[in-house]
Amino acid sequence: MKKEWNQYDPGSLYDELIAAVHQPREASYKLVEYLRHLTPDRFRQCVQESEAVIREMGITFTVYSDAGNIDRAWPFDIIPRIIPAAEWDCTEIGLKQRIRALNMFIQDIYNGGKILKDGVMPADIVLQSKGYRKACIGMTPPHGVWANICGSDLVRHSDGVLYVLEDNLRVPSGVAYMLENRNITKRVLPEIFNTLPIRPVSNYPAQLYEMLASLRPDLDDPTIALMTPGIYNSAYFEHAFLAQQAGLVLLEGADLVVGKDEYVYMKTIKGLERVDVIYRRIDDDFIDPEVFREDSMLGVPGIMRAWKAGKVAIANAPGCGVADDKVIYAYVPDMIRYYLGEEPTLPNVPTYVCRRDKDREYVLEHLAELVVKPANESGGYGMLVGPHSTAEKVEEFRKLIQEDPNNYIAQPTLSLSVTPTSCETDTEADVHRRTTDPKSRIKIAPRHVDLRPFILSGKDIFVTPGGLTRVALVEGSLVVNSSQGGGSKDTWIVGDVVEGEEV
Amino acid sequence: MLSRVAERVYWMARYLERAEKTARLINVHTALLMDLPGRMEINWFTLIRLFNAEKVFSEHYERGNEANIMQFLIADINNPSSLATSLANVRENVRTSLDVLPEEIWAQANQIHLLMTNSLPRIADRYARQIFLREVMKHCQCIRGALDSHMSRDHSFDFMQIGKHLERTDMTSRILEMTSLLLSDDRSDTLRKYDGILWTNLLQALSARQMYLQHIHSRVEGASVMRFLMNDNAFPGSVGYSLAAMSRRMRYLPDPDMPMTMAQRVLEHSQAQDVGAIPAEHVHTLMDYLQSELGVLHAEIAKTWFYPDRSGQQQTQGL
Repeated sequence: MKKEWNQYDPGSLYDELIAAVHQPREASYKLVEYLRHLTPDRFRQCVQESEAVIREMGITFTVYSDAGNIDRAWPFDIIPRIIPAAEWDCTEIGLKQRIRALNMFIQDIYNGGKILKDGVMPADIVLQSKGYRKACIGMTPPHGVWANICGSDLVRHSDGVLYVLEDNLRVPSGVAYMLENRNITKRVLPEIFNTLPIRPVSNYPAQLYEMLASLRPDLDDPTIALMTPGIYNSAYFEHAFLAQQAGLVLLEGADLVVGKDEYVYMKTIKGLERVDVIYRRIDDDFIDPEVFREDSMLGVPGIMRAWKAGKVAIANAPGCGVADDKVIYAYVPDMIRYYLGEEPTLPNVPTYVCRRDKDREYVLEHLAELVVKPANESGGYGMLVGPHSTAEKVEEFRKLIQEDPNNYIAQPTLSLSVTPTSCETDTEADVHRRTTDPKSRIKIAPRHVDLRPFILSGKDIFVTPGGLTRVALVEGSLVVNSSQGGGSKDTWIVGDVVEGEEV
Repeated sequence: MLSRVAERVYWMARYLERAEKTARLINVHTALLMDLPGRMEINWFTLIRLFNAEKVFSEHYERGNEANIMQFLIADINNPSSLATSLANVRENVRTSLDVLPEEIWAQANQIHLLMTNSLPRIADRYARQIFLREVMKHCQCIRGALDSHMSRDHSFDFMQIGKHLERTDMTSRILEMTSLLLSDDRSDTLRKYDGILWTNLLQALSARQMYLQHIHSRVEGASVMRFLMNDNAFPGSVGYSLAAMSRRMRYLPDPDMPMTMAQRVLEHSQAQDVGAIPAEHVHTLMDYLQSELGVLHAEIAKTWFYPDRSGQQQTQGL
């Protein structure tokens, strides 16, 4: 594949592996050399092997619009993305700082709201947030931690800096795919692992278990369950995988019942057995029909009572989604200064809050250059990407912002970094039906990526080394979301090599 | 363990057993037809009767020829007892019980699924079909082997064993019933002349030929084959062995009294008559009865362990 790599040109974009034509970055040098020396046939073989592994291991992702197809194979690119260990160590410090501040913020707003009284941020932003739950007022979860599992999205701009794009605090997904991506890579590129100090990710399930167990410090051996919305949920594969890997009981709301003693019980062949910790993968709205949506069939009536009485720990704590709001996001650097007295290590993407007159004025004048996001959507829905949009769409958003400025923020259009990705030259149009036609040529081309590390907070804080790299498989596209056809890559945190030891 | 999961692993084991037996049965039936004189009209339709699927079959197919019957029994997902349906159910039940199963089972279930996807279009061809059916049997045995080697003897395992033995009993009774039907068929005078071949094939359909020859020391003939498959205490495929094994498993589970009593009753009924003394053409009545009792036994198992919240007071005590 020498020709393909020699010709590879990221242009003016920041590339994760290649500094300039013919110049791999230091941490990527060995990987690129290795891939350069593979014959096209061998490379194709690796791609096909990875696809076979994904099918055999049943790694799937459900796309709701894909009627009847619950088995879309997980889209994966075999060329890993590399981050040097020194850079990552800094990032990790920043992520820990951020989650500490976010948890202090949530704790604060349900217990007096000092930050609001001190005028650091306007109160109505919090009170109007869709994630704010009155039912949580006065509650303090174990260790004062609300967001036990956080999946923050990081993006690198053309200035080479990693920015936090958003904090996913409600039910962040993707960590199973991070683990499986590593498993696939180990099978497809086994030789390379001997020559590079790649930080392992396989400890995550054990860390998850530890964190969940730490939510019941009063119990030696708590019963811990993962609660899924069910077998047709888009993330069911991940729920089952995590339960299997971490040794959790996998259950649905219908398997649970709250007793008169306010403990939560699961229906077993022996009758009812107590559950002490629940890792729920179901939104607040559906968790308890007594408190939130009455029509929810997925939840457990009374589970909020049990939680408030301290008889069951729930991760993430109900109500933690209040900090998963794109308007509140704009204030996270202020939170870090306010609660921790520190300067933020990781920068936010510069954000215009449309409720502020000055910001809104600017946004309305520059709509066509900006990305506009509603406060409470996930998965990239309901957004305007100015430069890639039409004049009508821009006008539509102008109206939306003028009608409800509180619900919108805007950010400059980032130039997401790219990384070498294998593409079939003749099948760009449909990335899901990659041809296995041996005559089609594989080319190596730059594709945009982001990164979702996962942060566990209980008694201690743990950050995955790296995370899930998502890649926009279509040329020029910035959409990396799995629900909208993005792919993924293994992510390596690589240290400096001295005789095989990382320094 | 969760009642819902108990139900899923129980059905997983049932479908696994059913899939393997269905594959074996179709292969053996095909082999039987090759042993018989070419001029004989081979009764493919017996296979449909075996699964009590006459009605579903006639709704979807006009002619009961080899191609249609093979399509129906192997590939047709409209047929609740087709091989494809059974294997899809194995996979779905594995998918929804990953937290209690050894992890490689999921990969194996996917391999069968891929095998099916690739092979089903070619099953009309006898050669390709036989290879496919052998692969299915091999995969089923791989799953069973992995479960036997890597799974703790916990309640999940108990429910799988119960499911496996119940399905095995049911399949054995159906295969005995088929033989009875074959022999009572008006057109089977010729077939009766070949009844040694018929009984040998029957043993092969249950992977029982070698053990029969080793332990029974008798030529292969109807009465002793029937006795072997109904009563033998050492052969794991016999009705008596399976039912007794099922009872033993139930003892490990909470509140097993009702289902154990029922299993014991089925065992006694099945052993009460000397099956070897009954004319072959009447055996199917006995087998029908056995199958209906197995249905009752299943209902008892489900009531006791799968839906405990519907079955009484004790579970709600203390709340």
